Amino acid sequence: MAMRFTPTEMTPAERALQAEVREFLAAEMPPGSSPDRALGMGAGKNKEFSKKLAERGWVGMAMPKRYGGHDRNAVDRFIVVEELLRAGAPIGYHWVADRQTASVILKFGTDEQKERFIPPICRGELGFSIGMSEPDSGSDLASVSTRATRAEGGWLLNGTKIWTSGAHENDWFIVLCRTSPMEDGNKHQGLSQLLVDLNSPGLEKNGIPFLDGSPGFNEVVFHDVFVPDENVVGELGMGWAQNTAEMAYERGGPDRWLSAYGVVEELMRHHAGTPLEDRVAEVLGWATARFFGLHNMSFTVARMIDTGQAPSIEAALVKEMGTRFEQDVLLRLLEFVEEEPDPNSLLLYQRLLAKAILTGPSFTIRGGTIEVLRSVASKGLRS
Amino acid sequence: MTATDPTTDAGLVDELLVDSAYRLFAGMCSFEAVQKAEADGWAPAIWDAVAEAGFAWIGVPDTAGGSGGTLADACAVLLAAGTHAAPIPLAETGILGGWLLAGAGLTLPDGPVSVVPGAAGDSLSATLNGDGSVTLAGTAVRVPWARRADRIAALVSTADGPRVVSIPGGSGSVRAGTNLAGEPRDDVDLTGVTVGADSVGVPAADATADNLRLRGALSRVMLMAGALEAMSKLTVEYTEQRQQFGRPVARFQAVQQHLVWGAQDAAITKMAAQVAARDASRNFEAATFQIASARTIAEGCASTATRWAHQAHGAMGMTQEYALHHLSRRLWSWRQEWATPNEWAMRVGRMAEAGGADDLFALITG
Repeated sequence: MAMRFTPTEMTPAERALQAEVREFLAAEMPPGSSPDRALGMGAGKNKEFSKKLAERGWVGMAMPKRYGGHDRNAVDRFIVVEELLRAGAPIGYHWVADRQTASVILKFGTDEQKERFIPPICRGELGFSIGMSEPDSGSDLASVSTRATRAEGGWLLNGTKIWTSGAHENDWFIVLCRTSPMEDGNKHQGLSQLLVDLNSPGLEKNGIPFLDGSPGFNEVVFHDVFVPDENVVGELGMGWAQNTAEMAYERGGPDRWLSAYGVVEELMRHHAGTPLEDRVAEVLGWATARFFGLHNMSFTVARMIDTGQAPSIEAALVKEMGTRFEQDVLLRLLEFVEEEPDPNSLLLYQRLLAKAILTGPSFTIRGGTIEVLRSVASKGLRS
Repeated sequence: MTATDPTTDAGLVDELLVDSAYRLFAGMCSFEAVQKAEADGWAPAIWDAVAEAGFAWIGVPDTAGGSGGTLADACAVLLAAGTHAAPIPLAETGILGGWLLAGAGLTLPDGPVSVVPGAAGDSLSATLNGDGSVTLAGTAVRVPWARRADRIAALVSTADGPRVVSIPGGSGSVRAGTNLAGEPRDDVDLTGVTVGADSVGVPAADATADNLRLRGALSRVMLMAGALEAMSKLTVEYTEQRQQFGRPVARFQAVQQHLVWGAQDAAITKMAAQVAARDASRNFEAATFQIASARTIAEGCASTATRWAHQAHGAMGMTQEYALHHLSRRLWSWRQEWATPNEWAMRVGRMAEAGGADDLFALITG
């Protein structure tokens, strides 16, 4: 069996970093008094907050110093991200750029692209969207039909991306598209990743209301959108391999089990001062124990990245179970919550619970469905 | 002992010792040996080999007749024992009964020790006599391998405070019982039995009833973690070999779900178990949350993982001719030992409640 989850623990320096982030968040978002507390990675965008984090060195942590980063390792990044997510901090503006795009550009981009994009990402000034899904391509991502055709000095992009988070507010878009026709049915060849300015002429953004009615989800249609050659990421035609390398380890991150955490904490705060009934204590204990287990697994995945152990199977297992747990927590809470959920309740925990129920189905779908993850993980178990 | 490396391993565990424990259990606990242990109620060859290697007394100080080593070492050996469904009172002899006896300055026997777990229905009580002896009354229930133990350790209350009593094997009358896996869990009526003063001691300061219960819970966590890991491995292997509709059943998505969920149950239980063992070994009093959390996780995972493993095995797992039942029946037993319904989840919940919302995440992350 390929699973290797060895417990790890924090060094004094790592503990100090954790304490520093907690102190910062306690000042920025005093417990119980933060009306815009979010549910993990589904957080709102707040450019000022992103900039503040960047000033602390907590954006682009793993990027090299020469591009404005901080040369920190995966564990340091895990510690900061875990604290931000559990506090429900408004990290939405820099989240994708910091978590994915910067790494892709660093790994596959040209020197010019690194100079152009990574420093502003590290300053928290650049918001990215991810252009993967299309109306007819979801889990079967390699079947994308958005096409880039040759033009003078670049490419003309045509097609439609859908279910794109943040396209209406972000600055850039990393788009997976076909740059040469499929040959011999090999759909993994001929795909490329392009960096597209979301304000390009010919780029049409249509909002799609999310399950809870919030804006932020989009359809993006390309009508002959011009993308200069210098915006092709990495090798032409190698987009598929670059794209899959991008996500393998991120799957094991704390964003995959903390989405419902804020509901639990605020519910406790709401009940503070009244002794919990046994059945409530039991559910709270069950959830707390699981958070403890998942925290340790996710932390270990980060440590494995830093020690070069390539924990792709472990990360897939964590994401599959973590996201199911996020949904299970909500069901268990409903065993004793008496009030009917109301997204506009005056009570913070009620608003969070309502939002979590309404957006809950996305937990096990976003970033790759758990069904696909199971295939990935079960292959790993055999090897 | 290996050096402590906070970032890469449990630090307190002697890896060589653990490796040799795995080898010994793998060699001794064959399918036939585990079957025979159930039929006979005892596995002398396995016990002798384990005793010879000193594994039963790890975590009990050398000075008290133990094998030395840390609680984390003992826990790692229990995990190995769980992996191979070792049918012997390993925890009872060492970190439970042996710990009680050694702490009270009482002699450790050469043979197996059991412990009175204070399970539901237990009515054991004790009276301290003027000469220092203790007269017992009532029935100690669900005592593992009581019928085979050289000594049964009991932590009892007396008018003069708590005492550890080292009850000689064969005392009282034994009603033989078993757990769901056929491992002896005997009820011993000890009414009228008097244990001499040389077998009665004042418990060590840390040998409270609560700490005994936490240790009991931790022992089951380790055993369950081992059994879950072995069960996941067995299920992956079986579904890869078993062909239906012209291909291994592991290739079906519905079966993959069982495999992945079982592997997750095994992984999170082992992680929680190892963290709990590490922290308890370092500072037991500060590890209550980790032990109770690990116990909560293990109980839930034992329930779900046995379901997935049996479903993936189909009819093959429905028989006693195939090894799955050595693991699944133990998991169904261990999930209820040293526990009353919801006890451990409730305990975690009460700890979370006591810390309050502001400290919840600090509790979770240690």
